[in-house]
Amino acid sequence: MYGQGILRGLKVTFQHIFESYMDDIRWNFRRYRSPEAFPERQGVAARGVFTVQYPEEKLAVPERFRFIPFLVVDNYDHPDEERRGHDWCTSCGICAKVCPPQCIWIVRGTNPETGRPVPEPEEFYIDIDICMNCGLCAEFCPFDAIKMDHDYELSSYDRTSAHIYNKQQLSKEFRYWQSIAPTTAEEEANARGGWEHKDVLKQQAKEAKARAKAEQAASDTD
Amino acid sequence: MVATLDGETIEQLQPVMGYLHRNHEKIGERNTYIMNMPFTDRLDYFCSLSNNLGYAPAVENLLALGKRYEPPTYRAEVIRVLMVELTRILNHMVAVGFLLNDMGAYFTPMMYAITERELILDFFEAATGSRMMCNYMRFGGVFKDLPERMRSEASLLNDKVRDENTIEYLRALINERLPRAIDQFDEYLTGSEIVTNRCMGVGVLTQADAIAYSAAGPVLRASGVPYDVRRADPYSIYPDLDFDVAVRYHGDVYDRYLVRLDEMRQSIRILKQILPLLDETEGQPFFAGSPKYALRVPAGESYGRVENPKGELGYYVVSDGGQNPWRYHVRAPSFINLTALEKMCVGQKVADTVIILGSIDIVLGEVDR
Repeated sequence: MYGQGILRGLKVTFQHIFESYMDDIRWNFRRYRSPEAFPERQGVAARGVFTVQYPEEKLAVPERFRFIPFLVVDNYDHPDEERRGHDWCTSCGICAKVCPPQCIWIVRGTNPETGRPVPEPEEFYIDIDICMNCGLCAEFCPFDAIKMDHDYELSSYDRTSAHIYNKQQLSKEFRYWQSIAPTTAEEEANARGGWEHKDVLKQQAKEAKARAKAEQAASDTD
Repeated sequence: MVATLDGETIEQLQPVMGYLHRNHEKIGERNTYIMNMPFTDRLDYFCSLSNNLGYAPAVENLLALGKRYEPPTYRAEVIRVLMVELTRILNHMVAVGFLLNDMGAYFTPMMYAITERELILDFFEAATGSRMMCNYMRFGGVFKDLPERMRSEASLLNDKVRDENTIEYLRALINERLPRAIDQFDEYLTGSEIVTNRCMGVGVLTQADAIAYSAAGPVLRASGVPYDVRRADPYSIYPDLDFDVAVRYHGDVYDRYLVRLDEMRQSIRILKQILPLLDETEGQPFFAGSPKYALRVPAGESYGRVENPKGELGYYVVSDGGQNPWRYHVRAPSFINLTALEKMCVGQKVADTVIILGSIDIVLGEVDR
């Protein structure tokens, strides 16, 4: 019979309408309010309306989510006073080399007295208009110093000057990286051998070795 | 496109291209090999993962000419195929949705398709870090292993948290959700008189013409040529997998739609075979060797090709032994399928050209590179 196909198709449409109301009834009309309802209505078993009411409810992003990079600095309440706010970046320049659209600009730091390079960048710029969020800089950084951020709400009033981030805007505490990506941060810490920066750990290992040697020498003379 | 009309009938039609040209190939020659990977995402932005899969073997073939070369591990290949087949389902969902949109079923089937796509994208986001611009494959494996849990972290900015076991999520998606959605599509659209009246016998591309225009993908297979790169020139682990090449014989819009439905079903079939392999290879290395940002690629040339959801995607890379490719060329399926548009449209009505264009399923990021 002509029109049968349309009717069968409309059945599917009506099923969808019906399901969206069924869900409301099942959650006692608290579908958008109860926190348990959220994973359910955004999961594989979800039926009915699939919308996230964006400005009111914001989807938390998974750990690996990547957006504009940021620079890791030591916590501002780090036990070692000298390390407070210290850059993890050693201005080796690998991120600038590997960046596909070439949006990273680093000025190597020098000691004003001696004129010799210090392992900290003097300036660090990322043009976030050009950055394509590929994550290669974070992937190849040997010091875990540049990481991809989760903050995706970057609108600003001025596109000419506000979109080139300098070092101050890019720097974020190590604590922040631990909070947005706990498992990745832990994996990296295991690979480094501790929660500190690679250089600090190396220094600590050296000191421990020297101390052990001194103790050994002291016990030998006894 | 520029069309010459006789009343409502198309006499001549020419697609005008180049409005989205952005120098992809020239930029590829400036970039180093690894830097080019994120750029391939931007070709066909619906299926960035299968674009990655095309580029990775092209360079891996070149690397294989050198002395120390480690081919991608088995686990990496399994993950690659998993990603690519999910991409294929996602792409066909969107293609069918947009086809119906062009036909005038304003956004209802589209939204049903996008709901399923959303679930696949959630998985991509957790595994690769991005929803569409995945940048996931590397030469010798993949960027990272699948996460154990698809967990999101609440922060001050966003608080709606989900936490699911990845394998269980995939199992539910592949075994129940997606087959149900495909069946629903079938029930919803295939028999519908509006769809059959609009699509049957419209935009016919004969078998000879399809071959002459070197069309690929669903456009070619709907014209009765059972050609699929996964079978014709098998790559990755496809030789071990059991699936059929979907083929239809009328070459009209309706058959292209049916081929897409069949292909989604075949992809489900492949994914069902992939799931046990994922469990088997759990914990095995997902990357061969150590990741390097500066590759030593021996001089030579290679052509890597894969069956993209839209057709045969090929990357031609010539290396002179330096940091970046000497020549880099992309055979984009959308672009070559689009050249056959005039053949399909001549003699048809103006309103039909829209659905014929929809049935080719082009993405302009790929047409103009």
